[in-house]
Amino acid sequence: MNNNEALMICRCEEVTYGRLFATAKEHQCTSRELKLRTRAGMGFCGGRTCRVMVDRIIESIVPNTGEGEIPLKYQPPIRPVTFGTAGEKND
Amino acid sequence: MTRIIDHPVLGKLDDRKKIPFTFDGKVYEAFETETIAAALLANGVRTLRVHEESGTPRGFYCNIGHCMECRVNVNGQANIRACLTVVKENMVVERGKQHPNIVKRMVENL
Repeated sequence: MNNNEALMICRCEEVTYGRLFATAKEHQCTSRELKLRTRAGMGFCGGRTCRVMVDRIIESIVPNTGEGEIPLKYQPPIRPVTFGTAGEKND
Repeated sequence: MTRIIDHPVLGKLDDRKKIPFTFDGKVYEAFETETIAAALLANGVRTLRVHEESGTPRGFYCNIGHCMECRVNVNGQANIRACLTVVKENMVVERGKQHPNIVKRMVENL
């Protein structure tokens, strides 16, 4: 496959595989740093679609990164909610 | 319009009630108990919203309520997932639109 470059990894923030790959190659960083540099995983869905792929990209590019060594973290709210729902306004 | 006419679990399509709803001002027909995403797909509508920043088209992606790609406006309420929300009679659905990004435009022009 030659069009991997344009493959959309993070749909919410429109980050392609090419961009993630290039950034990871250049900075040899953790998945958290890759996330902050590209915004992959920082969109509306909270990284629930692309988190695993971002982690795997780092594992495959940066040498000596064990599987899930410094994975992206999970934090509340675990699913996107409105301010109304958080404020107990359930309509 | 392509639908399953006879389903071993869901039954026959003819037995179900047809209800009208609007999407972006246009009236479409849905079957009772189906989701907004399913009704629109059956009516040939695949673009449910555009990306807020870039304006590129989006349809539903995971269809199980987890990727948030199919969010639409329902009766004035924003960011409702079309794949999980059941169509109600005369429901007013609108596509998600592109948002202005004044700050970004300002930075670009510096």
